[in-house]
Order: sequence, then structure tokens, then C-alpha cells
Amino acid sequence: MNVFKNFLSLFLIGVVFAAPAHALDPRELVREAIDHWRGVASVGEMTMIIHRPDWERTMSMQSWTQGTKESLVRVTAPQKDRGNGTLMIDNSMWNYSPKVNRVIKVPSSMMGQSWMGSDFSNKDVSRSDDIVDQYTHTLLETTEHDGKTVYVIESVPLEEAAVVWGREVLRIRDDLVLLEQRYYDQEDQLVQTLEALEIGEMGGRVIALRQRMSKQDAPEEWTEMQVKTMSYDVNLDPGMFTLANLRNPRN
Amino acid sequence: MNLTLRLAWRNLWRQPRRTWLTTGAMVFSNIILAVMVSLQFGMYDMMIDNTLAVFTGHLQVQAPGYKDDKKMRQSIPNAAGLAASLRQNLDVDTVAVRGTAFALASSDERSFGIQVIGIQPEYEASVSSLPGLLSEGRYPADNFAAEVVIGNVLARNLKVTIGDELTLLGSGRDGSFAAAVVIVTGIFDTGMADLDRSIAQLPLGAFQDVFSMGDQAHEIVIRVADLSLVPGIKQQVQGLLPADENLVVFDWDELEPSLKQAIQADIASAWFMYGILIILVAFSVLNTVLMSVLERTREFGIVMSLGLTPGRLGRLVVLETMLMGLMGLILGTLLGAGLILWLGANGFSYPGMEEMAERFNMPAKIYPQLSLVPLFLGPVIVFAGTLIAAVYPAIRLHWLEPVQAMRAA
Repeated sequence: MNVFKNFLSLFLIGVVFAAPAHALDPRELVREAIDHWRGVASVGEMTMIIHRPDWERTMSMQSWTQGTKESLVRVTAPQKDRGNGTLMIDNSMWNYSPKVNRVIKVPSSMMGQSWMGSDFSNKDVSRSDDIVDQYTHTLLETTEHDGKTVYVIESVPLEEAAVVWGREVLRIRDDLVLLEQRYYDQEDQLVQTLEALEIGEMGGRVIALRQRMSKQDAPEEWTEMQVKTMSYDVNLDPGMFTLANLRNPRN
Repeated sequence: MNLTLRLAWRNLWRQPRRTWLTTGAMVFSNIILAVMVSLQFGMYDMMIDNTLAVFTGHLQVQAPGYKDDKKMRQSIPNAAGLAASLRQNLDVDTVAVRGTAFALASSDERSFGIQVIGIQPEYEASVSSLPGLLSEGRYPADNFAAEVVIGNVLARNLKVTIGDELTLLGSGRDGSFAAAVVIVTGIFDTGMADLDRSIAQLPLGAFQDVFSMGDQAHEIVIRVADLSLVPGIKQQVQGLLPADENLVVFDWDELEPSLKQAIQADIASAWFMYGILIILVAFSVLNTVLMSVLERTREFGIVMSLGLTPGRLGRLVVLETMLMGLMGLILGTLLGAGLILWLGANGFSYPGMEEMAERFNMPAKIYPQLSLVPLFLGPVIVFAGTLIAAVYPAIRLHWLEPVQAMRAA
């Protein structure tokens, strides 16, 4: 009897300890979600809609990404803004404006400012993978969405991370689609929410086709990113992510 | 009553030296209070004027919501036209239009986020002392010139000097990319770190061009000749605004609430000192009155045994004090007013003030104004204090026993 009891408790311990091994590592999940969205390399076309109560502005842009460190965005429409571009390498950011034919590095003090007049800050667009390295992640709960499991992950920045947020809450579906990202400030007030409004297949992957960033205190102000085309795992010219290419596009 | 008054007056001059000494204390403190308070009020007016002269102006016309949100789209249509009509209707030149935008300013070496302010070169100097604070170079002359003046700290940070190029990068009013290359033609030094570090002034025409503003701007700044004219002109301006735009006029108090708060804090601390002065004077009066009552104990005993009530006797004592207080009040305010008038004509300054004034493009002397409230505020409180000081000796009379009092030494 005793033997059986011991065996049972051993078995139970085994079950208890095995459980975390089965549940996926939340950090890994966040990393995979970002990799899924960006791919090893990607080329895409997007439309950005900046909405305000009294006006709206639509911009079209092309984007190239390589890994999680390098990306390039170039505005294609409207005509007035055509040719403006942003190059991001690591945590550095450069803007190019054809009007003045100059490349300007964005100083770190400006990283919190709006990117191209949108509700995304420079930081939001350039540091998308900071959340992997500079945060600790905890799985809060799992829910369902469209018959798929959704992991709700709380990400708290490390003490020394240069991040304005107090914490972020991510909802990642088990097919690695980021459904929602909520940004809380240091007082734990919800500041802004990035949510996937439309999910579909593009470039061989299921991704968020329409994402909207909205501010909590001004729900009538939002910016929407719509993916028009997207190809993954393309071969990009090694000179793609250079200041020279930002200034004089070769493609 | 007439008798009591005459009695009180004669009682005062039974001891002329003591009366003069006490009155002298009152006169002295009244002169100090009258002059100091007038000087203080004059200083506040100057402080307000100087602070507002740098940038804010006395009044501003803005689009609704702009004061709190500072959003680029909250702008005034046809701003220059409106300013011109204000100039004409108010019959003053001191009206200028400004636009404000946020931009990244880059030199060859560095970049900083700054505020770009579109100004009317022709009129800016009439509302702001900043154009007069150029330490190098010149203010842009042409309304469309791609020329900026920047603060000396910003110039140092960007490592630029006169003639160097700056690139401005920001967002236009329509959300488009705003970008321009401008030439630094002047460097100002206001001594105010915020301004010197983060501001570039660009002619309004060029500003509207770069930031896709059309004929719009954000502020119409109005400067008036004297602070006291502000409420009247505010109302006048309100009436002159186009009815369909629902633009708003703010006075300096609404634009710079911290200014009034600073003044109120200063008044509070000054009144603490004045309070001590007033209490000292009141005690000296109390001392005098008490002495004059005590030395007349026998006399009071006699008149009381003859049938004079303690109440009437108390009134006599209070009346004596009141007469003395009135003398102090009248002499003190007269002498104080004379001193203020003299200072008002010749100006008041202290060592080093001239250098400081020149440094900040400000007037070098304070000219206190003679006006009723600052002149009488202190002396009237001293007067009230002396009356309160007479209450105790007067009440004391009620406990006086006529027989005992007559036997007192």
C-alpha cells in the first residue's frame, strides 16, 4: 500500500513538474510571433490611415525587413510625400526627405515622438523586438479565438530597459498571430491598444492584415495599418539597409 | 461727545513728548508700509510686464482648444488679415501673428527636437523683447525668407553659427512631411534656458509654406500700453473677432497662471514681515495707552466717584488713542505719498539692477505709482491695530474701585 502511495505521489509530482514543460515559454512565444510577422526577410506594401475626428489621411508605403534588426519604409503616395523614407537598423533611425535631399538621424530624445504623424511613435516602429530581450514574460491565461488557443501574456520591462511603459499585455494566437497588444503606463493606466482587426493569409502566412493603434483617452483618434501585399523569405540586396539606399533608391 | 473729544485732545498734550514718540513710531511704520507696498505693487506690474514682454504678450487670440492641446490643426484662418484688422481697429501696432510647429532641427553634426515659431518680422519686435535680444546676427527682414534666429544654447548644441544651414523636419498641418533647409541669420540670448534651448523663429510666410499652413496661424499676440488696459482691450478684441470662427481671447493671467501664483506667494511672504511691523507698533501703542491710564488712576478714581461711568471713561481712552492713530495715519500717508511721488518721478533702482535690466532688455528702474489701495492698505491696518491696542486699557477701567483708586499713589 505504501509503495503504491509513494508511486502515486511520484506520479503526481511528475505530472505537476511536467506541466510547465508542456506549456510553452511565453518569451519564446513572443519571439516567434514577431518572427512570424517579419519573417527572415520580407517585402510588402502597406496603407496607413491616420484618423482624427475632423480629418483623415491615407498614405501608401513600401516596406522591407531583414531579420528583426533592419527595416526600411518608403512612402509612395500621396504625391506630396512620395519618396520620404525611414531606415531602422537596430535601435537607430534615419529619415530621408526628398524636399531637402537630406538624411537625418533621429536623436534618441525624439524616439517617443509620433512617426510620420501617426499614432505610432518612432519607438513603436523601430524597436519591435525589444519586447523579447528587455521584458520578462508571464502567461496570464489562455482563451479561445476562432477555435484557436489564445495566450494572454503579460510583459513587464526589465528595470534597466529604456522603455516608457509599465507593462504590456499581449494576446497571441497559437498560429502566432498577435491579436492585441495593450500598453500600460507606469501608473498601470491603459494608454494605447494595438489590435488586429482583420486576419488573413498573405505571402503564405496567416497574419494580421489590418491593425489599429488607438489611444485610450481619445478613442476617435487612431492609426490603421493595412497590409496590401506581403512576401516572405525573399532575397534582399545586401545594400538595401544602408543610408545610401535610403537617399537614392536603387529599386 | 464734544466735551469728551476736547478732553481727549487735551489729555494727549499733557505729555507731548510721549504722544509724539508714539505717533512717530506710527508715522514711521506707515511711511514704510505705504512706500514698500507701493513699490511692491510697482515691482509686480514691472515683473508681469517684463515676463509677458519676452514672449507671451498681454492678450492672445487663439482657436478654441489650442491653449490646452497645442494641436497644429487648432489654428486661426486668415490670421495675418485678422491681425491687420485688429491693428486698424485698436489703433495700435502691437499686434503680431505667430505659428507654432514641432520639428527636428539638424545641423551637419547634431539633431534636436525644437519648436519652430513663425513670426511676422515686421511686427514681432512690437510685442516681444526677443528680437531685441540678438547677441549676434540680425532678425529676418523678409516675410518669406528661409532664415531663422535661434537661441544661443541651441546654437551651441547644434554647433552652428551665423550663416550655417539647418534642416527642419516635421509634420505639416495636413499631416504631410514638412522639411526645409534654412539659414541661421541671428542668435538670441534671453537668459531663459527654455527659450534659448528650444526655439527657432522663422518668418511667418516661410513657416506657412514649410508646414502647409496656408494662411493659418496659431496665435495673435497683442501687447497693450499698460496692464490696467488689458480687460477693456480684451473686450474690444472679443467684439472684433469674426463671429463664425468662435476664436477665443485669453489675457495674460489665463495664459501664464504661474505668474499670478508667484506674485501671490511673494505677497504672502511680504505680509508676514509687515505683520510683524504692525504688531510691534501696536504693542508700543498699547504700552503708551496703558501708561497714560495707569498714571491717571487717582484722577480716574475722583471722576468716577463724582459719577462718571467707566463706559464713558473707556470711550475717552479709546478716543485719545484714535486721535493719536489718526495723526499717525495722516502724517504717515502724507509723507509716504510724497516719497512715492518722488520715487515715481526719479525711479527706484538698486546696485546692479541696471546691468541686469540691460541683459534682459528690460527697463532699468522701478517707478512706483501713487494709488489708493497700496498707499492706505498698510496705514489703515496700523490704525486698526492701535485701536485694538486701546481696548485692554479701556476695559481695565471697569475693574477700577473709585475709593481704592483715589488712594493710589
